Amino acid sequence: MTPAAQTIRVTVLFFGRLKDVAGRAEESCELAEGATIESLFATLAGQNSELARFRASLVASRNQEFAAWNTPLRAHDEIAFLPPVSGG
Amino acid sequence: MSAPHDDDVVLLVHDAIDAAALIQFVRAETDGAIVTFDGFVRNESHGRRALYLDYDAYESMAMAKMSEIAAQVREKYAIHRVAIVHRLGRLQVSETSVFIAVSAAHRAAAFDACRFAIDTLKRTVPIWKKEYFEDGAVWADGELPPVPSNQASPPSSASPGASSGQTPTPNGALPAAPDGALPPVTDGAPPPAPAATPAAKPAS
Repeated sequence: MTPAAQTIRVTVLFFGRLKDVAGRAEESCELAEGATIESLFATLAGQNSELARFRASLVASRNQEFAAWNTPLRAHDEIAFLPPVSGG
Repeated sequence: MSAPHDDDVVLLVHDAIDAAALIQFVRAETDGAIVTFDGFVRNESHGRRALYLDYDAYESMAMAKMSEIAAQVREKYAIHRVAIVHRLGRLQVSETSVFIAVSAAHRAAAFDACRFAIDTLKRTVPIWKKEYFEDGAVWADGELPPVPSNQASPPSSASPGASSGQTPTPNGALPAAPDGALPPVTDGAPPPAPAATPAAKPAS
């Protein structure tokens, strides 16, 4: 079934322990236009309740820049969910 | 996102870091000091004997963030050159994971710049380490990077092309966390630098 509303496709990346939780490093998601990083995460968490538990200890990035949760998504965005960083 | 200055080195590597070469690279006759930071794998973590570590990164973003740090260092401190190199993959105990070298005419700027670079790297560069012990492995605790708020800045119409991936959000400032849901995040200001050499001269 094709939804009537316009949709956009974005790439989602998982890193660190989130990669383990998500069971993959990358996926492609189709979302309604107007979706935000927050609503993208909610969609993913709806499919994986384990993922939902990490919401408070994550930051997100959009096209390699840290981004607020209310950032609107655009077609072909690369969104990543990043656990606390531990380089160095 | 800022391109590295011609006189700087910013690298992610998968093999051993050649610290001597980096020190040699930043060194010039006009300098009077080099300060280096050598971060290497400790043999224990939280009281457990560590066997080795695996470092993973969001490589394209990590390179961008490390380049930003080099640019900030150059802007804030009167330095000559800075080299920032992080290693990824499996590292054994005592192997260097990160090496930073800063040269300057005077020691204060070199010390301050090196400290700023490693502190900022540890807070903002998307790299993660997994620690392996005799009886299992864990992702190390880390720091949640500060995120810019997004009150009145709809995305520009610029193409978000995967290669460049720039957003209009300036990154030097890193204001406080935006929308209430984030746990207390630091305000994003660079760590207070010890009062020393406020005026940065342009790099030679």
